[in-house]
Amino acid sequence: MKAIFKIALGIIAAVGGFLDIGDLVFNTQAGALFRYDLIWAVVCGVIGIAVYAEMSGRVAAVSGRPVFDVIRMRLGFGPGLIALVASTLVNVLTIAAELGGLAIILTLLFDAAFSMFVVVAVLALIVIVALLPFGGLERLFGYGGLLLLVMVATAIDQQPDWGAVAQGLIPSLDSSPLYLYFVVGTFAAALMPYEVHFYSSGAIEERWTEENLKENRLNAIIGYALGGVLAVSLVIVSGYLFHPLGVEPNDLGTVALPSQVAFGETGLLLALGGMLCCVGGAAIDSSFAASYNLAQFLGWEWGRYRGPKKAPRFTVSWLAFLAVAVMIVESGINPVEITEYSVVFSVVALPLTYFPILLIAGDRSFMGEHANGRIASLLGWVYFGVIIVLALASIPLLLITNGGGG
Amino acid sequence: MRIAARTAVLSAVVALLAGLLGGCGDLSRGELSRGVESLSALAAQGGLVAKGVAEDGTKATYARVMAKTLGGEAEHEAEKLADAEPEAAVEAQRGEAVAVARELAELFAELQTYPGDERHGATVQKHMARAKAQADAIAEGLTGEEQ
Amino acid sequence: MSERDSIYIVHRLLDEQILDAEGRRCGRVDDLELRGSPPRVTALLCGEGLYPRRLPRGIRHLWRRAIGPERWGANAVRIPWEEVDSLGSTVRLRKKAEELGLGEGDDPERWMVRRLPWN
Repeated sequence: MKAIFKIALGIIAAVGGFLDIGDLVFNTQAGALFRYDLIWAVVCGVIGIAVYAEMSGRVAAVSGRPVFDVIRMRLGFGPGLIALVASTLVNVLTIAAELGGLAIILTLLFDAAFSMFVVVAVLALIVIVALLPFGGLERLFGYGGLLLLVMVATAIDQQPDWGAVAQGLIPSLDSSPLYLYFVVGTFAAALMPYEVHFYSSGAIEERWTEENLKENRLNAIIGYALGGVLAVSLVIVSGYLFHPLGVEPNDLGTVALPSQVAFGETGLLLALGGMLCCVGGAAIDSSFAASYNLAQFLGWEWGRYRGPKKAPRFTVSWLAFLAVAVMIVESGINPVEITEYSVVFSVVALPLTYFPILLIAGDRSFMGEHANGRIASLLGWVYFGVIIVLALASIPLLLITNGGGG
Repeated sequence: MRIAARTAVLSAVVALLAGLLGGCGDLSRGELSRGVESLSALAAQGGLVAKGVAEDGTKATYARVMAKTLGGEAEHEAEKLADAEPEAAVEAQRGEAVAVARELAELFAELQTYPGDERHGATVQKHMARAKAQADAIAEGLTGEEQ
Repeated sequence: MSERDSIYIVHRLLDEQILDAEGRRCGRVDDLELRGSPPRVTALLCGEGLYPRRLPRGIRHLWRRAIGPERWGANAVRIPWEEVDSLGSTVRLRKKAEELGLGEGDDPERWMVRRLPWN
């Protein structure tokens, strides 16, 4: 009984921690521009991350290998280094986007200088990481992120045409470049690789074994499915309110507006609070992922559970990544723009880190009886194809649509 | 052979640059239309924020920061439209659009100054709706004439 | 040992994580020393100085010029095969990292980490 309770809490934390600034921005924009037509792309992305995360979690639990251990081992030093460099660049952009997002949300709540809040945010994160154990971090930001359930409540309160919403689940390929850009964007925002890298290393931090495989699968199926409901609710509330008015959500504050309209100040505070927690959690996840990847690839000691004394290079690299991200944000680029770049570039780098995991997850000599079954294998390979297509299309679409500006 | 090829490439580059540079600053019907749509979108969002203030259903800091950000976008749009060289056919509409953009900027400034005042919120909300209607009318005029 | 077995070992040995006797991570197998005919693994090689060997020629020169050559004992360490205790998903050694000159990058003495407030 206690075990089920523990697993349930883990799933709840996963739901709350599912969204990050990329989802907030892209899903809100998708709803405003195309109403419910892109819901299917969000759902596809959610299934994609469930597939990738389940494989990575399983590989970590069974073989003790996190993602970049697999990459170094399977790709070797040269190609693996390319994957590491690409992944690191994307991660740093992501950290910057999340930190910028945190600062924006703090200004919306407390209206002081943005650049001050960037520093406040990063210092607060460092203190929180220093004080809390690994599991505590996940729970704090995960439960806090559940405040975003106000979005689901808003969607229900709006009473949209549920038939039209359901139609959005059916894939449609409008030929307009802007639509295709958002197909890539919403999918990529749901399938951010740093999340999976963090999840896989987290499995080792929490010393997962084969006994955790059931938990791993439940996280993937239930946790991400419910997280996907949150993600889709962003599209619905934005589509219902903004699309008929022609509102263009270019600011993070706009994400909270539908909840404010529906539930007044309470709705606004719940939305902003939830955004703060999910973006804050994402800042930690992405910064940790950057350090995990570097340390694992090079063979350094790593892990929050080791502590700064036993893993100094890991710790210092984490602080260095945060520092670089702060500099990027303070350089004045709009965090929403940084977000768009981080999401688009991440899907370009995604095949490099996805492919080795797919191979190892299906390799019986590593995984024994826990290698990919028929369903996992099918899903794994289908998504690999999808990811390749999106990786090739993303940058051309970014250029053609002028960054989604139309 | 090689010199001919190089000249061809050079001419193409020059033509491209001339097209790009010459194009900068020209405001076509399509671009003006997009600009006006942006103004309509800003007015719509401004109306929602102002409504929240009017009904005392929002936080003053949120309203102030949103007003500042959206006001900045309105200002930026006003400058962009004012600086560009419009095609002769759309010169009149360009003038109207700039006027709407400037009014939006003023409305947002007012909201920024009084983010907790319900009376101001209601006034701004009303004027935002009017500005949106004006922007929509300009946009319709532009596309209407296209047909 | 047949030739197929030895190739299998190289495939599974190279790039693996190295753990010392206490289970501390102290680098990866960055290269292998093979001697004799048929070739046998006589030592594991570990260290940043060895990375250029694994890169294509052009980049190799750039890297060496930037970082410098292999310096045995400093950025390249030789671990004799006898020091290997077991092979699994990691390479476990018989001795502690310091005794073999490994993992010096994670030596806390080298970092100011001790002076950080939460230590």
